[in-house]
Amino acid sequence: MRLFKLKRNNLFPFLRGLEGFGELWGPVRKGRKVVYARAKPEEFDLEALRTIIPAKKFFLPPRFTALKFRDNTWEDDYRPRRKVIFGLHPCEIHALNIYHRFYTRLFTDPYYERSKEATLIVGLSCVPDDHCFCYATGTSTVNEGFDLFLTDLGDRLLVWVGSPRGEESLKLVGKFLEDVEQKDISDYVAWRKRRDAAFKLKVDLDGMPEIVSFSYDSPVWEKMGRACLSCGTCTMVCPTCTCFDLEDEYDLKRAEMHRERFWYSCVFREYSMVAGGHNFREARSERLKLWYTHKLVGFMSEYGAPACVGCGRCVVSCPVGINVISVVRALRQERTTALWTKMEVKDA
Amino acid sequence: MKKPKIGIYGLTGCAGDQLNILNCEDELLKLFDIFEIKSFVMASSAADEEASLDVAFVEGSVSTEKDLEDLKEIRKKSKILVAMGHCAVFGGVQSMFVGEDWDKMYRKVYGKKRAVTLTKPLPPKPLAAYVKVDAVLPGCPIEKEPFLKLAGLLAKGVIPRHPDFPVCAECKWKENECLLLRGEMCMGPLTNSGCGAICPSLGIPCIGCWGPIEKENWEAEAFLLRERGFSVEDIVNRFAIFGGMERADKLRKFLEAKEE
Repeated sequence: MRLFKLKRNNLFPFLRGLEGFGELWGPVRKGRKVVYARAKPEEFDLEALRTIIPAKKFFLPPRFTALKFRDNTWEDDYRPRRKVIFGLHPCEIHALNIYHRFYTRLFTDPYYERSKEATLIVGLSCVPDDHCFCYATGTSTVNEGFDLFLTDLGDRLLVWVGSPRGEESLKLVGKFLEDVEQKDISDYVAWRKRRDAAFKLKVDLDGMPEIVSFSYDSPVWEKMGRACLSCGTCTMVCPTCTCFDLEDEYDLKRAEMHRERFWYSCVFREYSMVAGGHNFREARSERLKLWYTHKLVGFMSEYGAPACVGCGRCVVSCPVGINVISVVRALRQERTTALWTKMEVKDA
Repeated sequence: MKKPKIGIYGLTGCAGDQLNILNCEDELLKLFDIFEIKSFVMASSAADEEASLDVAFVEGSVSTEKDLEDLKEIRKKSKILVAMGHCAVFGGVQSMFVGEDWDKMYRKVYGKKRAVTLTKPLPPKPLAAYVKVDAVLPGCPIEKEPFLKLAGLLAKGVIPRHPDFPVCAECKWKENECLLLRGEMCMGPLTNSGCGAICPSLGIPCIGCWGPIEKENWEAEAFLLRERGFSVEDIVNRFAIFGGMERADKLRKFLEAKEE
């Protein structure tokens, strides 16, 4: 991996230069929140942490037409435009690595593959807020899965080149980069120390696979199920959730069928419903158990790591406070003040 | 393939669903092309009520004896019956007589003399309370795109089912900030998807006009709204507007149990 530095006042020209690869997208303010949007470098929010929807939207959009068919012919015209996605933090890139393994390991998803092919990933360092816990999931730094990665040291940024495509992009922006010196490295080490000391949210994920497995009959699930709205927000905002559904539609104007592919959620009642109307997970508590077992146990045995990258999206998104932090604490029989834990008390 | 014969009817309601079909201006000719329209009184007075139908689209709730007779006739002559719009699918706003005696309510509005004399009024109910319904298209009113999708599939001989997940999914796809987290009285988690989260995308909380999803967790929604500081009365009123007949019944029992 090669390392360069970029003067602060060259950041915007550098990003504009990358537009030679494709459309420039990055974190932009939307009200009080942040979303990845196509914008000019000046519009990016460089302090932003988590976007409402993670970068998985670039690789498999929330809803798109996967196939068009008429008579006995079909056409798959999903061709994502070439994009540079700037501002992905280490947790986000870790999540994309999980996404990549999931969508290429047994069978390569053609839509994912095309999106991946059309994307240049430009990471950006960050400083945690009250909801970040990538420290606990081991995803606070990243060594693979990006093309370029920028660490913000204030007056300058360090630029890691992480892939052949990243190397290739230097043809566009190499002129802005300079060699690093010893001082840059020592400043980087100091920055790492400051960043690591900034984590405030403490959660202990050690031993979670066993704890979740042995909590199969825990009353915690039932209690959580009573408060869960089954709105699906946790799965939509989770950067490692991959589930989708397919639906056929008839386009009257073009006289052709469209097979629509869209994000789906295991917390929806119909998710586990099969022919004949039988449902393996009719109860909300069963569906939540599935989600957390998959994230913290199933993924462990399959990929050697939990499917949680500590981004904190579930923490800030669930209206009743069901999230990795509160669930892990409840299963560890630690104190949690999440809203869902109060519901039964109120009723009594 | 022979063109499917269809009829578009309205019982008690505002006729907004039929109007929205006529609002499909760009697709209207195509629609008239793939279907043989036997009855659509709002569009043409030349209706053939003797013909049997492949598909009948019916909007409005059953609110009078005449509605009920018409509905039974339509059911008899149609292979597929589609309940169209909130009134037909859930009973509409008029079915929310929460905790009140319907006869008493009727007298309060129309007086003792029973001002309506053309037909006998009934407590408003959705179509499925009386006849078998094969497909539903919720919405108050229905939206153009979901109607065209449904019509397209029916033309192809497919009976589509409405997906049973809340509008929150569509809201997140559009990357909106959650209005419940902002402390608003948003009905998203209880409400059918399909509209594309129009209101929340404009920062306006969902009022539930697409009706409740199956097995909605309204207890949790009520708990959350109470935690946010809304009064029981405000919550019940909001739940009742588009909650349909079934939720109105549940709410009534819930309120009665509380009083005991």
